[in-house]
Amino acid sequence: MVESSPPMLETLSNTLKQAENFELLSTYDNFNAALWQSAIYNPNLFLMDIDNEEVLNNLPAFVDIFPEAVILGMMSNWDADISYKAQKMGVTGCIVKPFKPSEIVESIELYKKRGKPKPSQIVTFFSPKGRSGRTTLAALLALEVAQKSNEAVALIDADLQFGDLPIFFDLEPQHTVVDAVHDVKLLTPLAFAPYFHEITKNLYLLSSPERPEYAELVDAQGLVEVVRMAGHIFRYLFIDLPAGFNPLSIAVSNFANTNFVVAMINTGLEVLHMKRSLDLLRTGENRKENHCPIFTRVNPCNAEQKAKLEQQLGSPIAAIFPNEYNLVSVANSGRILYGLPRDTLMMKTIENLAKEIIAGKL
Amino acid sequence: MAGERNSIIISVFSTSSGNGKTITAINLAASLSCEGYAVCLVDLDLQFGDIVTYLKLEPKHTIAEAQRDFIESNGKINAIDYLTTYGHVSFDNAPSITFSVMAPPRMVYDAYNIEVPVVEKLLRDMNYFDFIILDLNAAFSALNLAMLDMSTIINYVGVVDFLPSVKNFKIGYDTLIRFEYEESKIRLVENRANSQKLISGNDVERLIGEKFFHRLPNDFPSVNKAVREGRPLMYAAPNSALTKSFTELARKYTRHQELIQSHQLGAAPVENNKQSWISKVMNVFFG
Repeated sequence: MVESSPPMLETLSNTLKQAENFELLSTYDNFNAALWQSAIYNPNLFLMDIDNEEVLNNLPAFVDIFPEAVILGMMSNWDADISYKAQKMGVTGCIVKPFKPSEIVESIELYKKRGKPKPSQIVTFFSPKGRSGRTTLAALLALEVAQKSNEAVALIDADLQFGDLPIFFDLEPQHTVVDAVHDVKLLTPLAFAPYFHEITKNLYLLSSPERPEYAELVDAQGLVEVVRMAGHIFRYLFIDLPAGFNPLSIAVSNFANTNFVVAMINTGLEVLHMKRSLDLLRTGENRKENHCPIFTRVNPCNAEQKAKLEQQLGSPIAAIFPNEYNLVSVANSGRILYGLPRDTLMMKTIENLAKEIIAGKL
Repeated sequence: MAGERNSIIISVFSTSSGNGKTITAINLAASLSCEGYAVCLVDLDLQFGDIVTYLKLEPKHTIAEAQRDFIESNGKINAIDYLTTYGHVSFDNAPSITFSVMAPPRMVYDAYNIEVPVVEKLLRDMNYFDFIILDLNAAFSALNLAMLDMSTIINYVGVVDFLPSVKNFKIGYDTLIRFEYEESKIRLVENRANSQKLISGNDVERLIGEKFFHRLPNDFPSVNKAVREGRPLMYAAPNSALTKSFTELARKYTRHQELIQSHQLGAAPVENNKQSWISKVMNVFFG
């Protein structure tokens, strides 16, 4: 354990000495001594005071020298920036001081389930207008990534007035995004994890509120905090945003690695809406190159049609999806986990896109 | 200030997009105009409104300029200067119609700047129209609630072929009731009523506890043709059952007006309690 504050070192040492399932090998008040001496003990767990900038910045050395060990970053208060930095440097996860020995065990379990010790991949789903297939796409991609990556995936239903994800999976979760935003300031990742409802192995849902007016209780900053803490608990976040532009969606999409902009081909004018959306998203101060257009219900759904749409749009398209009528009845009956029409072009396109997300190509 | 406002304001509202709000709004306006009423169609889907494209209009001014001028002139504007006319002159048996359109901003960004009191003022300016049709977007926003407050009738459209849509239709209706809109003001309109689907309109009526006021049949080819040609269904597909259904819907609303006129009450709607979105939310939370 590396802890720079003597009283805290005392407190934590005493706690660990009394715990049956821990053997405290050695304690240090600075990172240098720890790095040089600790190898002698062959430790399998490091508790590192990452509030100390020197310790934080030298984490990669520990990760390199002790690849098999669990490295937990300790912080006095939850700080999304510091924990993100620590995760980028390869720590297993973060824990808030002071803690009980059982919390160390639970944290290790949580972060092992999370998957690779890397920052999360955040994917948002935005559509200019509704009825675009946006939610279906988010649900199917999340499910596919959860199965293929074997890492923890969270779906966040941020379509606050009319979120459809709970009904897609036939669920009535106890917690919603409103509770999450309200409580997140007081919580640690360990206490926050149960706000996500387990849908199936590796896949969790943070549900939308029960009533449209509760959306007013969610502010952009609060939602961003939820997303950032969720990113510490889950390797992948799939966030379903409401149709149209609003400050919440813009704030969340700034933290995303990939923003899918989804439109369904109907009258053909959707290309125009897509163009207007991309113009807005790709210009101005928030300019980012991670807005990827997707068209659904494309017929015929082939390379030629994709090229045609790309030409009309004046921009590359991430993917095109065919219409899959069977999917409507599957989603209609809440059977999305069991009744997916596997050998269809629709599902193959999902699989390919999921592979690209897992490979970090998007 | 009852009496100042004479128009019947019909808002076309729904809780998920792609339900046919814009098609309903356009064809309701066309049918009312065909009956001889002065009609204004206002596109309040400010970010992605489609009325201008569906009617192939090239507006000189939009609501964005009205907003800009309102600020610059300290409120001295008149809605009439920002309207675009849709006209169809017919040389055969088909009727000629004309109605006004308030176009949405050209740039998505400008949609952010439109202020609710300015839109309210513009609607008050338009009180010389017999009917004002509002095409709203699918959300409970401050603007939409202010518009629903001003509306004589809320034409609440739903396509109930998909479980999430049914859920949102029900949630939207319950929310309207919770926000104390009179049930008599809300008219449930089922769109694509006869299309092949797994959920029947009757089931939805049972779920909501209200009957549909009107049912619009499904006719995607005709709608598609109308959009491509940039004109209302009465010209693009005069014999379609959907076209006839829009005429019937318009008649249901004009009968209502004729009744009011026959009682010489004037068509001035009762001024609603001016409750803000926030105060409504507060009411819901704290009684």
